[in-house]
Amino acid sequence: MKSFLKLVNFELNRFFKLYFILMGLTIVSQIVGAFIVAIVYMNDAERIIYERQISSSQYIEEYGVFSFFNYFNSGWFLMPIIFCIALLILYVFFIWYRDWLGKNTFIYRLLMLPANRVNIYFAKLTTIMMLVFGLVGLQLLMLPVEVKIIKSLVSEDFQTSFSFNEIHHLPILSWLYPVRFTEFVMMYGIGLILVAVIFTAILFERSYRLKGIFFAIVYGILSFCVFMVPLLLNSFYTNYFYPNELLVLQLVATIIVLGSAIWIANHLLKHKIRV
Amino acid sequence: MIEVKNVKKKYGKKQVLSGLSFTADKGEITCLIGINGVGKTTIMKAIMALIPINSGEILIDGEKIRKESFEKVTFIPDSLAMLPKMRIRDAIEFMADFYKNWNPKRAEELMQFFKLDTTDRIADLSKGNMAKVNLLLGLALDVDYLLMDEPFSGIDIFSREQIAEVFTSHLIEDRGVIITTHEINDIEHLIDKAVLIDNGAVIKEFRVEEVREQEGKSVIDIMREVYLG
Repeated sequence: MKSFLKLVNFELNRFFKLYFILMGLTIVSQIVGAFIVAIVYMNDAERIIYERQISSSQYIEEYGVFSFFNYFNSGWFLMPIIFCIALLILYVFFIWYRDWLGKNTFIYRLLMLPANRVNIYFAKLTTIMMLVFGLVGLQLLMLPVEVKIIKSLVSEDFQTSFSFNEIHHLPILSWLYPVRFTEFVMMYGIGLILVAVIFTAILFERSYRLKGIFFAIVYGILSFCVFMVPLLLNSFYTNYFYPNELLVLQLVATIIVLGSAIWIANHLLKHKIRV
Repeated sequence: MIEVKNVKKKYGKKQVLSGLSFTADKGEITCLIGINGVGKTTIMKAIMALIPINSGEILIDGEKIRKESFEKVTFIPDSLAMLPKMRIRDAIEFMADFYKNWNPKRAEELMQFFKLDTTDRIADLSKGNMAKVNLLLGLALDVDYLLMDEPFSGIDIFSREQIAEVFTSHLIEDRGVIITTHEINDIEHLIDKAVLIDNGAVIKEFRVEEVREQEGKSVIDIMREVYLG
């Protein structure tokens, strides 16, 4: 356990510089974006009102009030999120391959630690999840700040009330922040399993190299199929299962997929891995 | 004792180890000799379970390798297995963090002996200093067995002398050392046992002292006989 925590700490430290840059980029882009979107809207409104000599209420009638979706659908807001997601997806692979790359092959050191090698797997998995939650948390903290900035810049006449429930109408935010707790667990549970399966697939490749790519693909497809069995059963036998039964089936499928990913990873790291 | 018994290993279609066997005792320096590509590094990796073997058995004090074994045997590969961005003190801290048997006193002693600066970044070290740090990270562990892969290759003469000096010091005594080399000259006078390898198998295993006394031959003489017929 102690070596697991030390490894997590170590893995987090290795990514921290880049992580801070990611966070900084997100904060800067979204805050600057909030200012720009609000200011541009107000400038446009004022210009049109001036040019056409209409009243604010006439303007609102014709053009509508300021919608927060102007901001949430803007590149300022979305691009950093997409960039963070893309980088974390890349890092799911790089977190392993970086240990094999370069002159100083750190994988030697990791595999020679006096601890269960599967700890390396768990530590990297935990690291990825912590990095994800860190960014998701940051975004959650940023939202009220951004809304406040916009509200302070757009004059009250042009505003609609904004409630945070509305963020669920946005495509990206609705799956980053599912409304119900069970949905949240499912969403991030699926994410965790996906990363675990990819990690095991990477270990297949690292153990058997070229042949391993083939094993990894077969393993990935099998895992996907097992995971989908309850859903497929439900579509073949419509209304045959009670929702509770389906939930139990899905839970069993999940345990099989996650359990086998860990078991295989442990076996590969212990007996098959190559430096 | 480290026992390597009839170990076979294939990389693809290439048979790298074809039934290789030898033993290495505690308190002795065993040298694996052979030209490049005969499987010297492979056997070291196999002992440390860094690669799987196809058949055969490797025992350390009668046991197969397990996680606890890494407090008993350590491997010093031919390049330093630490992150380049680390400073020497970070690398030392890493070792102290993970290994129960890290000996800080000995690490300090080695730092002074090799005249290394703890604040130096690994990426900026010269090849000679890199080899010294590599050696330090292995030697400062209170392990019974040390495996060293070509510790002298590609480094300057003074660094070589310094490293050779380590072998005759208390830093090594009582431990079992397996060392690989394709240049025997530097360490001929240091080694207790020579294991000549060719095509993935042992072709001759002998005690250096005995051969010198009884037959008046050096390791190189024996190598000539064996490799050149």
